[in-house]
Amino acid sequence: MSNHVTEWLNAYFDGELKNGRLHQVEKHLAECEACRMELESLRGLSELLQEAPTPDFPSPERFAAQVNLLLPHKRTPTPKPTLFDLGWWMIPVSILAVWVFVSTAMLLSNVVSIANNYGLLDNATGAWISGPSETAEVTATLGQFGVLSGDSLQWAERTESATRNVFPQVVLKVAVALMYLAWFAVWWARHTRQAPGRLIEG
Amino acid sequence: MVTVQTVSETELVVSAQHGDRNAFSELVRLHARGVFNVVYRMCGDTLVAEDAAQETFLRAWQNLSSYHPQTSLRNWLYRIAFNAGMDMLRKEKRILPTSIEDLPLTDDRPSPESLASQKERAALVKKAVLSLPDASRAVLVLKEYEGMSYHEIADALDIPIGTVMSRLNYARKLLKEKLEPKLFVQLEAEHV
Repeated sequence: MSNHVTEWLNAYFDGELKNGRLHQVEKHLAECEACRMELESLRGLSELLQEAPTPDFPSPERFAAQVNLLLPHKRTPTPKPTLFDLGWWMIPVSILAVWVFVSTAMLLSNVVSIANNYGLLDNATGAWISGPSETAEVTATLGQFGVLSGDSLQWAERTESATRNVFPQVVLKVAVALMYLAWFAVWWARHTRQAPGRLIEG
Repeated sequence: MVTVQTVSETELVVSAQHGDRNAFSELVRLHARGVFNVVYRMCGDTLVAEDAAQETFLRAWQNLSSYHPQTSLRNWLYRIAFNAGMDMLRKEKRILPTSIEDLPLTDDRPSPESLASQKERAALVKKAVLSLPDASRAVLVLKEYEGMSYHEIADALDIPIGTVMSRLNYARKLLKEKLEPKLFVQLEAEHV
């Protein structure tokens, strides 16, 4: 019989399998003598393990009283957050605040630009807000001197526009994400080190 | 002051977190036997287990503020208990069998007739369990002696469920390899 279900037998024996996997194992067991024997040996082992008795334990009441006597009179209080702790938590808050501020500013800038393009703002405001950038002036100058023309001029204008509007946003968001992830990694490392229980490794 | 019968475990924990020693004592009373059983199965020595159980509750008292009442207190205590048990064993320099090969289950063992004694069989089983690697033994003890689900074991030991499964499979495989030739045959003979 091929495709034995040996790796799932323990979980089956412990009642941990569900749905498809459970049906798969049950179906296989109905056909496979070797796996049925393996399952029986698991059952035998479990019965055998129960034969090792637990020794007598002092009564829980007496034990609790003993522990009570050993308890320090004052439990170590939870340390109050220090200035460092507050500063530590201010890092992600500041990063998020900067991100929110810059994103909002960029959003407003885009809204104003669109409004200006549709002539919703008066000329002075529009010129002040959406005055040509240095790169835009360079592109226009190159066009005037015939270095760029037609499709290449349009392409250059679009590239310049994308570079001016999209690139800084992408860079900003990636930078914020990286800073946040770096902080989270450090926080996680500190948190793991401080946990009272530690993993048992064999 | 806490009235035992009418107070839930969560309320006891909250009171204990505020420094109520009587509430904590009640929690100790509720979980003492379970913690003792777990550390005994890990250590194999009654005195070490008692010390480890005491140490478990002292550590729990010290760290009670870090416990979240929404999670299982038993699982949290068992995690501390395992670590306390292992620390106690190192401190007491009690040497467990380092590998299952160290078990005296070879030909110089008592004859099958004498193995019929349940006491001797229990002693062999105990030694075999103690010879398992700590990590596998922990999972096996919680499963076989505490009857915990894989999910609960994963929670208590802070490991993924897949790791619980693999450690349990490994522990049982090791135990079967060593115990099967002698003890299962004997068991079958008894049942006939």
